[in-house]
Amino acid sequence: MPDPFFSGPAVTRRTALAVGGGGLLAMALASCARGSDTRPSAPGTVTLNSDNPTWGPGYAAASAVLARRIGYRITSRSVASVANYGQVIRMTAQTDSTTDLIKWTNGYRLQDIARADILTDLNPVWDAAVGRGWVDPAQRESFSYRGTAYGVPLYKSYYAVFYSKKTFAENGIQVPTTFDGVMDAAQTLKDAGVTPFLSPGATTWEAEIWFMQLLASIDPDYYKAVTTNKASYTEDPAAQAIDLWSGMYADGFFSAPDVTSNDLPGLVKKGQFGMMLYGTWFANTLLANGLTDDDIGFFRVPPRGSTDPAIVVESGSLSVPVKAHRHRAAVEVAENWLATDVQTAWVGFLGDTSPNPKALPESDLVKDLAADIAATRPVELTRYWEASPTPLVEGNVADLGAFMVNPSKANGTTTLRSMEDRARTEWKTWNAA
Amino acid sequence: MTLTQPPVPDAAVDPQARTGRPPRTTPTRPTPLRARLTGGVFLAPSVALVVLLLVLPFAFTLYRSFFNDNGFTRSWVGIENYRSMFADPAFGQSVLNTFLWVVGTLLLPVGIGLAIAVGTWKLRLGGLARFAIVLPYAISGSATAVVWTFMLTTDGGLDTLLRQIGLDPLVSQWLLQWPLNTVMMIVATTWQATGACVILFLVGLQSIPPNTLEAAQIDGASGWRLFWAVTFPQLRPMTVVVVGISIVGSLKVFDQVLLLTNGGPGTASETLALTMYRETFTLSRYGSGAAVAVFLTIVVVVASYAYLRRQLRPTD
Repeated sequence: MPDPFFSGPAVTRRTALAVGGGGLLAMALASCARGSDTRPSAPGTVTLNSDNPTWGPGYAAASAVLARRIGYRITSRSVASVANYGQVIRMTAQTDSTTDLIKWTNGYRLQDIARADILTDLNPVWDAAVGRGWVDPAQRESFSYRGTAYGVPLYKSYYAVFYSKKTFAENGIQVPTTFDGVMDAAQTLKDAGVTPFLSPGATTWEAEIWFMQLLASIDPDYYKAVTTNKASYTEDPAAQAIDLWSGMYADGFFSAPDVTSNDLPGLVKKGQFGMMLYGTWFANTLLANGLTDDDIGFFRVPPRGSTDPAIVVESGSLSVPVKAHRHRAAVEVAENWLATDVQTAWVGFLGDTSPNPKALPESDLVKDLAADIAATRPVELTRYWEASPTPLVEGNVADLGAFMVNPSKANGTTTLRSMEDRARTEWKTWNAA
Repeated sequence: MTLTQPPVPDAAVDPQARTGRPPRTTPTRPTPLRARLTGGVFLAPSVALVVLLLVLPFAFTLYRSFFNDNGFTRSWVGIENYRSMFADPAFGQSVLNTFLWVVGTLLLPVGIGLAIAVGTWKLRLGGLARFAIVLPYAISGSATAVVWTFMLTTDGGLDTLLRQIGLDPLVSQWLLQWPLNTVMMIVATTWQATGACVILFLVGLQSIPPNTLEAAQIDGASGWRLFWAVTFPQLRPMTVVVVGISIVGSLKVFDQVLLLTNGGPGTASETLALTMYRETFTLSRYGSGAAVAVFLTIVVVVASYAYLRRQLRPTD
């Protein structure tokens, strides 16, 4: 049989292999070259890496104000996968391939990378921002490691209850101002055939939401203590919280734990939505889905009994790697990030609250909550996700997810025991590092 | 996915090829140096690529598994990562789940694939039936998982269907209870992977010489007996390949579990590949992740080697 590769004068097999091999080699070499994302940016700009690709227009809006203030704009890049983003920052922030600014979380996740000496000391930035009244000084601690701040708040969200104004009105429910009032509202909804709380979290980070809120409502000081290794998960406030949570499940107050928050707009339209405890950053998603301030409202979960009011806060960090190409400009951007006009442009895009209490978004939804917080001044607690070392939080949140699937009182006790055991191991590891 | 790009060896397509050739004889003269060098030169690019892309990364992973490594600093801890891995109850659960996957994908996609291939072969509308079974194989693993999430979520497609046909007592939290969630994920995988098994078994069936089947039929064999005594033994080369691919694929199953349950609730449905991912990418414990990776590699290599060594032994 004639060899098909050598039947004509055209390309021989050897040539094809050589061309193919050469091409592959060239591509391999090209991929080793430095990408444009890690080179110094154009004059007048600083680069920012983040894990949220949808925030580009927000950075652009804030940049327009920053450019007027200091002559620098932010060029944002993003890695959409949170897990990949973490790896990229860990690798690049140690080298000169880093961007000038990075988005990160606060709390222990920030401390984890701050310990590796890859971030710039931003104490002077905080001093200036606090002096100008641009930020609540109480937030500084969750951006610091051993007295040095390594980031400024990129955004600030609260955990509050989204509720359907229509469903509340139809069932004659007033916005509750006491914890028992929340339970009564839930019971009324239950009796009317509406699942009171949409509560995702069986296999996601959202399993922490009700646990941290119940602790915040029962004993905010204990919440601070247990998340910083100064109390045990088997103590009374945690047992009370998990018992209460279990009882709420027994009363039929919660949806199945494998729902998603994305189900909310559809349920509102069907008149089957009651309430959902969630981050205020979700408001923008709801507004984008066609809901308005007339459909949805917010309220802060009140304290239980005579406890001081407390609210859980989620924040992100804007940090400057030590090896930033335009280091001075990046620090200057961090310094001006919290300015009222920059923040007004930024939250105008996010539709969320701002770390700067003077900057408010356009939506009445969030404005009302911000006004309530300004009036009552609740104790602000760092979200559980950032409040303890990462392996401890990840493990405990997985335990809480499993509890949501089997929310019996007995399983609650087992869950707290498992969380406490993990706390002992992980705090030892954290303190030894 | 458990079955992707299955290689089909010559011996599987044509069993005659193996038995029909004369036995290999030992060369009486040593190969000249020049010929050996030429052979070496031709082999070099492949060997270099395998060393560069496979052996070196594995060696580095092995090296890394002896360190406490958080991505910034690295300190020698000896076999501590392995010790804590074996002491962790979540790891035991992960090994158990992986074992369930191996057994499940052998029983379901391979078993059903064989049954469908044999059952529909030479049937008039068999092609249509096979097309329906093979079609899901064209869908990516991630898309399959998304569809099945919709089906298996609480009050999802499956629960609604059960309620509509009056089977309310069967309504369950399919993805939230162990071992039901692992079983349902294996079922979802079966829906997709059976098609590949059917194709491979059909190739095997086509390579069976018709005269052996005719002879058996003349001797009075039919149905079940014809299958067990004549067809199945002649399918052996292909069965070896399908089972081998299935074992390796199920040992490293990842995408379906990540997307359907994320290994949860808790770590109840985690498999070894997910444990490796969680340690490495979620917890940034590169040393512990590397230890799980080494364990998984050893299991896959040992299982494949033991199985193929036994099954591919020349019969002559």
